[in-house]
Amino acid sequence: MLPPDFLGRLLFLLDRYGVSLLQGAGRTLIIAIIGTVIGCLIGFVVGIIQTIPVSKNDNMFKKIILKIVRIILAIYVEVFRGTPMMVQAMFIYYGSLQYLGVDMTMWAAAIFIVSINTGAYMAETVRGGILSIDRGQTEGAAAIGMNHFTTMVYVVLPQALRNIMPQIGNNLIINIKDTCVLSVISVVELFFVSKGIAGAYYTYFETFTLTMVIYLIMTVVCSRLLMLLERKMDGPDTYDLATTDTLAHTSGMMSYSAKKGGR
Amino acid sequence: MEERKPILEIKHLSKSFGKNLVLKDIDFEVYPGDITCIIGASGSGKSTLLRCINLLETPTGGEIIHDGQNVLERHVNVPAYRAKVGMVFQSFNLFNNMTVLKNCMVGCEKVLKESREKAYEKAIFYLEKVGMAPYINAKPKQLSGGQKQRVAIARALAMEPEVLLFDEPTSALDPQMVGEVLEVMRSLAKEGLTMLIVTHEMAFARDVTNQVVFMADGVICEQGTPEEIFVNPKKEQTREFLSRFMNK
Ligand SMILES: Nc1ncnc2c1ncn2[C@@H]1O[C@H](COP(=O)(O)OP(=O)(O)OP(=O)(O)O)[C@@H](O)[C@H]1O
Ligand SMILES: [Mg+2]
Repeated sequence: MLPPDFLGRLLFLLDRYGVSLLQGAGRTLIIAIIGTVIGCLIGFVVGIIQTIPVSKNDNMFKKIILKIVRIILAIYVEVFRGTPMMVQAMFIYYGSLQYLGVDMTMWAAAIFIVSINTGAYMAETVRGGILSIDRGQTEGAAAIGMNHFTTMVYVVLPQALRNIMPQIGNNLIINIKDTCVLSVISVVELFFVSKGIAGAYYTYFETFTLTMVIYLIMTVVCSRLLMLLERKMDGPDTYDLATTDTLAHTSGMMSYSAKKGGR
Repeated sequence: MEERKPILEIKHLSKSFGKNLVLKDIDFEVYPGDITCIIGASGSGKSTLLRCINLLETPTGGEIIHDGQNVLERHVNVPAYRAKVGMVFQSFNLFNNMTVLKNCMVGCEKVLKESREKAYEKAIFYLEKVGMAPYINAKPKQLSGGQKQRVAIARALAMEPEVLLFDEPTSALDPQMVGEVLEVMRSLAKEGLTMLIVTHEMAFARDVTNQVVFMADGVICEQGTPEEIFVNPKKEQTREFLSRFMNK
């Protein structure tokens, strides 16, 4: 029944379990992507709170609240960066089951753990990204009367986001790979599926060859797509010169068209 | 003449960084239409003075009166005040993530809360004034220094400020680009814009301004009309500074 040669076995496994492997890969990808997105949102919120400026003139209430929130967030970052995700998974899943009476679904548990873990990493990245924006940018914004909030939303965060895109990509790749630790709480992702298949016919090497290839395809495709996204964020390398003719009709802003020219 | 009210009154202004007293007892006034030049040696506190006026630095003493209100008091709405007192920097400080057009629109839209159409019209109007309208689609990094500075001036003008502060607007520029920026500033002067300019361009200071402030070591050493300062300086220090500059 099981072919004797390596290639034959690969084909046999593909034929028999190809769909399950793809389903597992799909779950891995979904958990990794959603976890990264939510993790980034958490990271931005934490990073933004950590960089709110406090001046001497601010009232006591604001200062104290901010201080407490920052301490809590710092603890969050330390705890989740400082422990393995596999352990966090056990801790959160069984903890919530036994003591909170919450039986998280596979999806909820997986996404929760990946998000909160990514958030802890991204918090520091975002903080660094915000602090790395040249002070001239915030001074330029201040000089035309922007407040802290407006400056962050329109000037600092867009630039910080662009600068930390490589790290976001990095986190996505890591998450695609590291979701495999969620198999300890029986999340049926690619690694979990592979283990099951491998055990069925005792084809560990063959199955995990396929698994390796699938992981590699996912990570390579994702990193390429992110690079394209980065390029898109940068906008075109050249610009079109507007002609005096087109500028004369300033009222029609939306229908404004630039003529080819420039460099 | 006596009834004209100053836009800005600087009274006994002082600023220290730690123990380093950088500005001491600065006093002067800016009236509507005034073009004031601040000159002085490097490190004399010119930038610090401008940054204090714009509240980018918090003065340690004295008053800055705007519209009869001391803007150093606690409850003052600082962003609203800054929207009326524009600033042009030596290093341009254009928003790197926005096109030229967006740079000039964002203040009108997000600070003055004007409509998109209004912001667009103002941006184009002021970009045309500085000769940068054709470049609306460019990003700052695609422009030369002189072009960047002209866009920065347009961005400040689009806020329609009561007074515009310039901190060495041409110092970061190649010689051939200095002219194009000074030309723009000359035309703004003709139109009656109130300006407060820190510069090392003595010819510009002499020809365009009606008030010159000479600073040395954190104090105003001498102050007067361009003739008084450039032709008949009273203080030895002023004479020395000017002779060094004119010989260059
Ligand atoms: N943020 C700061 N912290 C500490 N000291 C400062 C700071 N900014 C300026 N100084 C000091 O204040 C003094 C005045 O500096 P300032 O930049 O105002 O001089 P300037 O007249 O503008 O000189 P330049 O012509 O070189 O621009 C200098 O001695 C400088 O070292
Ligand atoms: Mg300076």
